Amino acid sequence: MGTLLNYPQLSFIHRYAMRDISRSYKKLWVISTTLFISLLLLSLTFSIKQSMNEEIQANSKELLGGDIQINSGIEPLSTNTLERLAQLGQISEMIELGTMLTKQGDTPVFTQLRVVDSQYPLYGVMKTTPKDAAQKLFLSEAKPIVLINENIQNQLQLNVGDDVTIMGQNFAVGGVISSVPDIAQSAVFGEFAIINKAQFDKFNLKTGGSFLHNHYRLKISPDKTTEGIINEIESLFTGDKTVETRLPKDSVQSLRSAIDNFSNFLNLVAVSAMIIAGIGISNTLLSFVNQRNISIAVKKSLGFSSKVIQLIYFYEIILILILTSILAYFIGVLSPILANSLIPQAYGIELQPTFSILSYLNIAFIGLLVVLIFSIPSLYSINSIKAVALFRNTFQPVSLHFSTKNIFYLVILIAVLVCYFVLQTQQQFFTLVYFFAFFATIFIFYGVSRLLIFFLKRSFSFSNNSYKIAYRNIVAKKSLAPIMTISLGIGLTLLLTISFVANNLKTEISQSIPSIAPDVFFVSINKDEKNDLENLIRKLDPEVELEFMPMAGASFISINGIPIETIVSPDNRSSWIVQGDRRISWLEKPSEDNPIVKGEWWEPGITDQMFISMDSRAAFDLGMEIGDKITLNILGRDVTGVVKNFRKVDYRDISINFAIIINQAFANKLPFEYVGTLKSNFSTDEIQSKVVKEFPNISAIKIDRILSKVSEVLNKIFIAVTGISLVVIVIGLIVIVSAVLVQTTFRKYNNLIYKILGVNFPTILKAMTLEFVIIYLTLVFFAITVAVVGSYFVVENTLGLDWTFDSTLTLWIVLATAVVAFILIVIANKNIFSPKVYPLIRNE
Amino acid sequence: MVFEEMSAAIEFSNVSLEYGLGNELIKVLKCISFSVNSDETVSIVGPSGSGKTSIIMLAAGLEKSTDGSIKIYDQEITNLKENDLSQIRRQNIGIVFQSFYLIPNLTAIENVLLSLEANQKYDLDNEAKELLGEFGLSHRINHLPSELSGGEQQRVAIARALINKPKIILADEPTGNLDGENSKIMMKLLLDYTKKSKTSLVLVTHDTSLAQRCDRIIELNDGNIA
Repeated sequence: MGTLLNYPQLSFIHRYAMRDISRSYKKLWVISTTLFISLLLLSLTFSIKQSMNEEIQANSKELLGGDIQINSGIEPLSTNTLERLAQLGQISEMIELGTMLTKQGDTPVFTQLRVVDSQYPLYGVMKTTPKDAAQKLFLSEAKPIVLINENIQNQLQLNVGDDVTIMGQNFAVGGVISSVPDIAQSAVFGEFAIINKAQFDKFNLKTGGSFLHNHYRLKISPDKTTEGIINEIESLFTGDKTVETRLPKDSVQSLRSAIDNFSNFLNLVAVSAMIIAGIGISNTLLSFVNQRNISIAVKKSLGFSSKVIQLIYFYEIILILILTSILAYFIGVLSPILANSLIPQAYGIELQPTFSILSYLNIAFIGLLVVLIFSIPSLYSINSIKAVALFRNTFQPVSLHFSTKNIFYLVILIAVLVCYFVLQTQQQFFTLVYFFAFFATIFIFYGVSRLLIFFLKRSFSFSNNSYKIAYRNIVAKKSLAPIMTISLGIGLTLLLTISFVANNLKTEISQSIPSIAPDVFFVSINKDEKNDLENLIRKLDPEVELEFMPMAGASFISINGIPIETIVSPDNRSSWIVQGDRRISWLEKPSEDNPIVKGEWWEPGITDQMFISMDSRAAFDLGMEIGDKITLNILGRDVTGVVKNFRKVDYRDISINFAIIINQAFANKLPFEYVGTLKSNFSTDEIQSKVVKEFPNISAIKIDRILSKVSEVLNKIFIAVTGISLVVIVIGLIVIVSAVLVQTTFRKYNNLIYKILGVNFPTILKAMTLEFVIIYLTLVFFAITVAVVGSYFVVENTLGLDWTFDSTLTLWIVLATAVVAFILIVIANKNIFSPKVYPLIRNE
Repeated sequence: MVFEEMSAAIEFSNVSLEYGLGNELIKVLKCISFSVNSDETVSIVGPSGSGKTSIIMLAAGLEKSTDGSIKIYDQEITNLKENDLSQIRRQNIGIVFQSFYLIPNLTAIENVLLSLEANQKYDLDNEAKELLGEFGLSHRINHLPSELSGGEQQRVAIARALINKPKIILADEPTGNLDGENSKIMMKLLLDYTKKSKTSLVLVTHDTSLAQRCDRIIELNDGNIA
């Protein structure tokens, strides 16, 4: 046959492959199943990500709440500016602040309060129960109305019509909010409530300004060009660092980023599962080739070239890939319908199934790369089958074929696979590191299996029959050791690594942080109220630990005269410090829990010069040096100060920590409010209730409540993440079962010989158990080692926490995986325990 | 590469075959020379290990000689590449094995057609049916090898070797796995075909009565022609 195939040859390959599949489909189930599961995971990820992005894109104005959003921070926009804006379109004003919401006789709840006008929302609808609750909000009834979300309703057991108190003013619960359209700006998943701005103004509800935000949304008049108006508005605020404008495309950025991060994780898990499936494909194909070595030799004796025979088998795999990828893709396309029932209603998101040929090709291409990578060494083993074996009947099992040409192809294909994934994600560095670690782990586990065989061959021998059989099975050419070590080892390593990271985070939140954190955090303390508040608390608990710090709003302008936005990119880890309003504080002496790591503290009493103390990590990220000149906008005035020192700030203790501290002597004349913390053995519920009753403007946030909410969210995330990573173990188990199944004839024959020699069933079962235990213990040792190193790196370096090892958790994971794997192996091996002598002797 | 029938079908000149087994060098064939004419039937006999099957493997281009020249219709094949050897084999040579070697998941007719398909001859089902009919297998054409008797399997294997109308038939102990009655049928089929189509036949056998039915006998002993 020539180099190029003509149509009749291709037609022959097609017909032969179709015939072979239809008659050998039972032997191809492992390839089909593992490929399908991993493609399905990939397809689900792609489909949901695409649907979410399209939903976000289609609703970007609803998510932002307008064609443009203007954030003016603590200070509202001037009447003149508002009048100018009103000429350009419909304007909606909103104030957001944190405050306490109290039901008589119950513990107050820290609530994110949205104060809205009658224009709200400009885009989309607010869904409530009862349905007309949103309209009632703006009726001038005798009693003002508040709409609460389900979290507040559940916590305080509130019903429509019940009374609650907000900043000393009584409100009636008018309804429960199911969803609001503008979720891009602020969190609406904790406790939040909505009141009417007219009533807010009427009752003169005031709070400490530092945690108050003024937002304005504009719906541009249809007769005006959106782009021109946006440019006009942006130019209105050029140079005003206290005002920030946001467009719909900006509003979806953070949501997109979160979706990208999670879908990237899912993609990596999916591709890991696919690579493990690839190991199974490789093993199944190799056993397929070995089972058909006579057929292949006959074809060669008839004049078929190795290339044509390889093409027939390769074509079969491609057909399976096409079928499984189409099925996986269609299930994936429909998955947004299922996802809708899992997405909390508060998001107000309704995903739509999206079909796209490009998305299908994307999945099929990844599948093709994996199939190519793992089928090349197996199918090239066909070259080693010689027709001369037909004369002597001397067939030797062939092994994976790694010639220089093959290795070159494999390197190219792996590079294409890695690049294809890396280029599709925003977290390119982490994706690359993941692939590197993944392939390194494959090599480590392959090395481990060879090391085990090497060690066993050189270890002392036992006279015990079971051990001898187990030993022979492990060191045999068709040993399960390499495939079991790699496929189960990688899955177990991934599961252990994720569990270790999750466990360390949970320990941090449930134990470490509460032990060092205060019990209650007070915000919006007017400077005139501070002493009264302190007296009240000390009356309740004379032993209380109280700390108050002054606080004022400021925004970052420049470093050494260079505008900050030109120096710090949004990707910078510490960019949050220089974006928008930031709270600063002042001290005359350095704080003990914020030790100076570089530079000197300032001389006291200097009133005409601002000195700055920076968080050392932020200073490093922002490229600051001691002596740099920093310009801050404090209460509308640009002030330049000199960086005197860097402090080590530990935000984990959730006490009062400021990234920027200035000298007290300079700050003395600034208007400010206090923020405070409390640690007490007394009932914090009672302290909180009394403080809120006496000081309605002060918000008292219970730390344990925040931590339990964070812990709850993290738990959900980790359950999902662990569940998803289990896919890799499931695929690994299927691969192992397939490896066991393809060895059935070989093992049956061996067991028959043992049976003839008088070895009984318990000895064979014991041998199998021993074989499993030896391989599993070896892979577990290395899986734990790799997981410890991986999780230590993540916990210590990325999360910046103290890493701890949980032996109970490890034991549970290792034992559970062992039990499931062993049961599956025993089931797969059930046919080999009592082989029938007659058929084997007849060579049937 | 289809050859003219004027020259010798097979020509071995000073052919040696050696291979290493550990530190030992095994000399399978020791500088042997012989030829087989285009319409001649030749049997090769000799004790086990004398090199009979090696001659078939060398003639089929499935094994490389250590030394000497092997020509198929004047075409030197010792230096040919795998692809060219495959081409010579599928266009000119039919091989019959002792162990039949039918492909288990293909029916009788599909096994026969495979030989044509290797030669890029497609959709010739009628020819295959006709040949199988001549071999008394009309009622078995859609049966899998596992559903055929040993004699039937070998008849299918011979049909597979002959369907392509080869100029040379190489048969390695074709009756080795058959009883006396089936052996006779098999030999008759092979000899009738070779006579009818003026094809060369090289038959390796232990059975002297079968060997004597060929035009000439080559006796091998310890790698030498006796």
